Amino acid sequence: MFYTESRVREPPTFLSSCYIERESILSIMETSDSLRHRVINNVMALHSEKNAADAAINIWRLMASEIISIVGESGFNSLYARSLFIARPEFPWLAEAAHAVHADSRFTELKNSFENKTPAQITKANLQLLIVFTDIVASVIGEQLTMSILRSAWGNDVWNRSQP
Amino acid sequence: MSEKVSIRRLQTGIPGLDNLLGGGLPEFSFNLIAGTPGSGKTTFAQQIMFNLATPDNRALFFTVLGEPPMKMLRYQQQFNFFDIKKLDDSIRFVNLSADLLDGNFAKVLSRIEDEVKGYAPGLVFVDSFRSVVQSAKTGEEGTSGLQRFVQQLGVQMTNWQATTFLIGEYLIPEAESSPVFTVADGILWLTQNLYRNSMVRKIQVVKMRGQAQVPGLHTFRISDQGIQVFPRAIVKQVVLGESAGEESAKHQRVPTGTPGLDEMLGGGLPHGYSLLVVGPSGSGKTILATEFLAEGVRRGEPGVIAAFEKSPSQLLNNQLSTLVKAGQVGVIDTRSLDLSIDETLHDLIAMINRMKAKRVVIDSLSGFELALAPEFSEDFRGSLYRMIAELTGMGVTILMTSELEDRYTDLRFSPFGSAFLADSIIVQRYIEITGQFKRVCSVVKVRGSKHSKDIRLFDITDEGIIIGETLTEYAGIMSGRPTLSP
Repeated sequence: MFYTESRVREPPTFLSSCYIERESILSIMETSDSLRHRVINNVMALHSEKNAADAAINIWRLMASEIISIVGESGFNSLYARSLFIARPEFPWLAEAAHAVHADSRFTELKNSFENKTPAQITKANLQLLIVFTDIVASVIGEQLTMSILRSAWGNDVWNRSQP
Repeated sequence: MSEKVSIRRLQTGIPGLDNLLGGGLPEFSFNLIAGTPGSGKTTFAQQIMFNLATPDNRALFFTVLGEPPMKMLRYQQQFNFFDIKKLDDSIRFVNLSADLLDGNFAKVLSRIEDEVKGYAPGLVFVDSFRSVVQSAKTGEEGTSGLQRFVQQLGVQMTNWQATTFLIGEYLIPEAESSPVFTVADGILWLTQNLYRNSMVRKIQVVKMRGQAQVPGLHTFRISDQGIQVFPRAIVKQVVLGESAGEESAKHQRVPTGTPGLDEMLGGGLPHGYSLLVVGPSGSGKTILATEFLAEGVRRGEPGVIAAFEKSPSQLLNNQLSTLVKAGQVGVIDTRSLDLSIDETLHDLIAMINRMKAKRVVIDSLSGFELALAPEFSEDFRGSLYRMIAELTGMGVTILMTSELEDRYTDLRFSPFGSAFLADSIIVQRYIEITGQFKRVCSVVKVRGSKHSKDIRLFDITDEGIIIGETLTEYAGIMSGRPTLSP
């Protein structure tokens, strides 16, 4: 179980118009053996720097760059804020998304949240955050297109390792 | 040496559009796709993009403000042309919102240039360009900055050998003053017109440098397949002094399949003619039309019917149903109630070509008019004229039916005043003789040919129409109550 909110809504933005019911997110998450979830597991394994927090932020930066180039800064920020909102009940120590003005400071709050946390805690929280984020993206633009974006962000190597 | 540059014309992948453009879209041209909100601009642009983009001719699709990219990607995927496999290798979406918000036109221009350098596309799209225009109005740079921006973009993209499309919502008064309109090589204008609860989409090629586009407004439809344009039929100029083949074909007669009727017509219906069969409800017009198609099939001439009176599932009569099932007669789907004549004509021509049909039936003009969007009903006569000219120009022989209630005080041949459109006319009507309703028919007109002037009784039997005797002993037949001549 990743979170306990019975229903998740966000402030009125485009994404809220296609908000996802808790049940549907759960059902997506339950298929944790899906290719995308394997890809997320593998990208985290590939980025196994000594510092788990740095590894997590690096993965986010790679993905953010790709998604921002397609949907814009505000589109990404909205998706990211919603993902944190969904993940926080399970990991209350994750900071809420700040309205970062510069790309450099986009993940500062997330990085701060990882301070004093064990690598296992960071990995678990980040895994959930990535799954929630990509689940939302996939629910809006489809699994195939989401996978295409993630592949551009994280590279073919991750893909090849994730094939069944 | 004076070798002229040869401009390659790109095939857009939008059915019907290349004809309008005059053969396709000029390579490296700078185009504007403009129109009202919801008129299909983005769909139009993306259909062209997905059709043309290949790894060797890549496409960059810049999104500016306006429709959120996530939403655009979500909805455009619903169309069959949206091929996700083309993304990255052939197509890239790039968002420019931040550049426009943060900076000025120069920054947007430089960002576009950087992306174009990096990806080397052959096709560039900017959606929505309207956002840039609006930003010019509110920004400090103003319209002169916009003009410079548009000109530079146009020059830059041509130099980078990219065919470019700016997509934007424009209203006409604003459009006239927009610098984009001056700079653009091609302008495509999309509209959706509401008229008495029906909506019709139209496209106009306002400008296309260096080639002869088809003028005027043309209807288009958006379906799961994307956009399909139906170029408006334009009557071709008649060339005097036809070839010997055409001349001899004209003298050929097409048997109608109803015994006795060919003699009344002076030996059958002249090849390539249009025949209008007019009569009240139940007078046997559809049966006459069916016999016409069946006779064609017997002679190895496939036929096509556009049946507006009934849906294809309750097809008319057994004889016609058999012909359709055997694949000898094709049926045009006419169930939609917001058709344009050009769409129907497009379907007819496609089926005529597919079946190599020689005979066409339109049953009936009254039903056809009802099936059209109200906007087109107003110009039904004019559109019908263009349609008949196009079909007869293909060398097919047409039989049209038209319902007209019997009037015994005046003599009319068509509710639309369209009788003059037909090369020949057969009138059917009811008369009363000795306490019985009887059917009579007469050939009113066969252009350029002798024909019978008789008014003859006819019956409808299981074997079809049986033409009976001439009512030579009666007078006042057209009044509905003939009397025996003294």
